[in-house]
Amino acid sequence: MGVVGNSIGLMFGLPGQGMHLHLDALSLLFGCILLPQVVAASVAGMRASVAFWAFVLGMALALLAADGFTLIFGFELMSAASWLLVMQGDRKPATLYAGVAIFSGACLIPALFLPASSLAFVLIALGAGAKAGLAPLHSWLPRAHPAPPAGVSALMSGGMVKVALYVLIRYAFINLAPAQQPWWGEALAAAGALSVLIGALRTVLEVELKTALACSTVEHVGLITVGLGLALYAKAIGDAELSGVALQAALLCAVAHGLFKPLLFIGAGEVKHATGTTSLNWLGGLMRGMPRLGALMLLGAAGMAALPLGPGFAPEFLLFHAVIGAAATGGILARIGFSALLAVLGIGAALALGAAVRIIGLGFLGRPRSLHAAAAEDMRRGPFVAMALLGALAIPVALVPGLLLDLLNPVIMLLAPEAQTPPLAYAPVTLLILAGLAALAAGFVQTRWGVRGLREVPAWNGGFGRPPAWLPFGDPHTQASATGFAEPVMRVMGKGLLGAGMTDPAERFLLAPLFRIQTRLIRLAERVRRATIRERLAFVFAVLVAFLLALGLGQGG
Amino acid sequence: MSLTFSLAHLLGGIILLCAFLQLSQRRLAAMITLYQMEALVLAAAAFWQGFAQHEINLYLTGIITFALKAVLLPWGLREIVLRFNMVRAVETALPMAVSMILGLALIGIAVLVVLPTTMSSISLTREDLAIALSVVLLGLLLMIVRRNALAQIIGFLSMENGLVLAAIGMPGMPFVAEFSVALLVLLAFLVVGVFLLRIREHFDTLDLSGLEKIERRGR
Repeated sequence: MGVVGNSIGLMFGLPGQGMHLHLDALSLLFGCILLPQVVAASVAGMRASVAFWAFVLGMALALLAADGFTLIFGFELMSAASWLLVMQGDRKPATLYAGVAIFSGACLIPALFLPASSLAFVLIALGAGAKAGLAPLHSWLPRAHPAPPAGVSALMSGGMVKVALYVLIRYAFINLAPAQQPWWGEALAAAGALSVLIGALRTVLEVELKTALACSTVEHVGLITVGLGLALYAKAIGDAELSGVALQAALLCAVAHGLFKPLLFIGAGEVKHATGTTSLNWLGGLMRGMPRLGALMLLGAAGMAALPLGPGFAPEFLLFHAVIGAAATGGILARIGFSALLAVLGIGAALALGAAVRIIGLGFLGRPRSLHAAAAEDMRRGPFVAMALLGALAIPVALVPGLLLDLLNPVIMLLAPEAQTPPLAYAPVTLLILAGLAALAAGFVQTRWGVRGLREVPAWNGGFGRPPAWLPFGDPHTQASATGFAEPVMRVMGKGLLGAGMTDPAERFLLAPLFRIQTRLIRLAERVRRATIRERLAFVFAVLVAFLLALGLGQGG
Repeated sequence: MSLTFSLAHLLGGIILLCAFLQLSQRRLAAMITLYQMEALVLAAAAFWQGFAQHEINLYLTGIITFALKAVLLPWGLREIVLRFNMVRAVETALPMAVSMILGLALIGIAVLVVLPTTMSSISLTREDLAIALSVVLLGLLLMIVRRNALAQIIGFLSMENGLVLAAIGMPGMPFVAEFSVALLVLLAFLVVGVFLLRIREHFDTLDLSGLEKIERRGR
C-alpha cells in the first residue's frame, strides 16, 4: 500500500496502475447509508454467506474508488455477487437480472473513460439508471429484488440501488461537470417522475408484500432522481438556492430510504418465516401475534408513505419545495413541465400513502385470512435486533432532520459549490409537542366531560358477520382482500397505465420487442446451422462473385 | 509470336467452351466426355506453352495432365457410373437455362475483373487469365447447381483445370506448384470415390437431396 496524492493505492489491480481508494464527503455519506444496512442484514442472518460479503465488498469498493477501473471493478463485483444471491432464491429473475447487469456494465465501462460530454452523461444515466431501477429500465427490479433471502433483498433495495445512484451523482455532478447542460437535469427529472408514477402505482396493486416493497423502491429511486435532476438543472442554469434545496431533498431521501426500506424488507422476511407466505391475500391480523414486528413495520410504512413525523416526510417536503421553486424558472415549456412534475409527485405521494395503508391494514390489522397468519408467532431475535437498529436510526431522521441537513452540507458543497442551503422550514419536534398537547387536551376533555361508565350496545363488529362454527377465525372472504382493496386504483389508473393484464409498460414496450428480436435471430442462426453443403458453397460462391464484381467495377470505374 | 498468342487463345477458348457446355448437360456420360476433352485440350495447351516458352517443365505438366486427367480420371468416373448404374439423367437444382445464364454472367464478371486489373502486365497472360478465372467460376457454379455427388466432383475437377490453365500461362511458374495441384486432385478424387461408395452403401443412391432433407430436419 502506498499513498499517492490524497488517495490510497492498493498493490493489485491493473498492471502498472493498481487500484486507488479515496474517501471524500460523498463517499462517506453513502458509506454511512450503507453501514447500518450491512450490519442489519448480517445480524438478520446473512453473515455466513460468502456471496453476501463479496456483495458488500463490491459496494464498498465502488464507493471508495478513486479511479475508473476500481469503480467498475467494485460495481461489477457487486452485480455478480448479487446475481449469485438472486439465483439462490429464484432462477428466472436471476437471468433477467444478469442481462440488466451486463447492459449497465456495457454502458458504464465506455462512459467512465470518455471525456466529459453529453454522450458520456447519457451512457452513465443509462448504466447507473438500469442498475438503480430507473424507469423505463425498472421492470427487472420488482422481479429480482424479492427473490433472495430478506437480508439480501434489504441490502439490494436499500444499498445497491444507492451505489448506482452514487455513480450517477459522482459523474453527473463532479466528473462531467465541465460539460453540463440544463437538459441533463430535465431528462433525469422526467425519468424520475416516470419511476415515481409507475412505482407508486404498482406498489398499490401488487399482492406480494416483497414485490410491493420492491415497487416502492422504484418509486423512491424516482423521488431521489427527481431531486438530483432538479439540482443538476439548477446548477446548469446557475440557480443557487434551488440546487441546494433539491440536493438536500435527494440526499435526505436517500438516507431515509436506506433506513426504512431495509427495515420493511427484513420485516417481510419475518412475515414469510412466521406464516410461510408474503401474499397479502393470505395475511391479516399479524399485529396480534407479532406485536413487535407490527410496531416496527408501522414505523417503516410511515416512512414509506412520507407521513408527517415519519422518516420519509422531510425529504418529500423539501422535494415539493424544490419542484415549486423550479416551476418558477425557465421558459414556458419548462414551467409547464415542472408543474406537471408537481402533479405527478402528488399522485405518487397519494398512491404511496394508499400502499402503506394497504400493507399495514391488510397484513397486520383485521382478521387473519389463513390459519398460518392466525398462528404466527413473534419474530426471532436476530431480525428483531436488525429491525430495531434500523428503526432507532430512523427516529432522528424523522424528528431532527434539520441537524441531519447540517451534516449534509459538506456533500452539497462538494457537488454544487455555489449552492445555498436555507434552513429547513419543518420542525417535527415542535409539531410533535403540539400534537401531544392537542392529544392531552382531547384526553382531558373526554375524561372531564365525556360519557362515564360503560354501556352495552350491539356490536357493529367492523362489518363482519358472526363467524360460522366450522371457521373459528371467521370467513376470510367477508373482509376485503388485497386485490379488492386495490381495485378502485386499478380501475381509475391501472387499466390506463398498465393495461388489462397488469403488465408493466416497460415489459410490453422494451422487453417484449427485445425478446421477439432474439427469437428472430435464433431462427436465423438455426437456419444457417441447418444449411446444406450446397447452400454453404453457394453462399461462399456468392460472396466471391460479389467481391470480384466490386473489384472489377472499382477498377473499371 | 502472333501464332503463339492465337493458338494459346484458341486452346483456352476451347477449354472454356467445354467447361461451359458441362453446365448444359443432363447426363453424366456427356459431362465426363466433355471433361475428357477439356483435359486433352489442356494437355495440348501445356505442350504448346512449353514449346513457346522453351520450358521443359511444361512438357512434364502436359504429360501428367494427359495421363491423369484425360485418361485415368475419365476412366475412373465412367467405372463409377457403370458400377452405380447412373446412366440416367442427372437431377439439377436449377433449371438448365438459368444456370447457363448464370454461367454467361460469370464469364462476363471474370473478364471484367481480369482485364482492367492486369492492364500493366504482358498481354499473353491477360486473356489466358480471364479464361482461367472463368473456368474456375464455372466449375464452382457446376458444383452448386447439381445435386448428384458425381456431377459435383466433375465440377471440382473442371475448376482445378482452370487453375492449371492459369498456371501454365504464367511464365516462370514453378513446376512443383502444378505437380502438387495435380496430386491433390488425384487424392481428392480417391477420397471422394471412397466416400461415394460409403454413401451408396448406406443410402442406395448418390442423389444428395435425401441427405439434404435429413439435414434440414435437424440432426
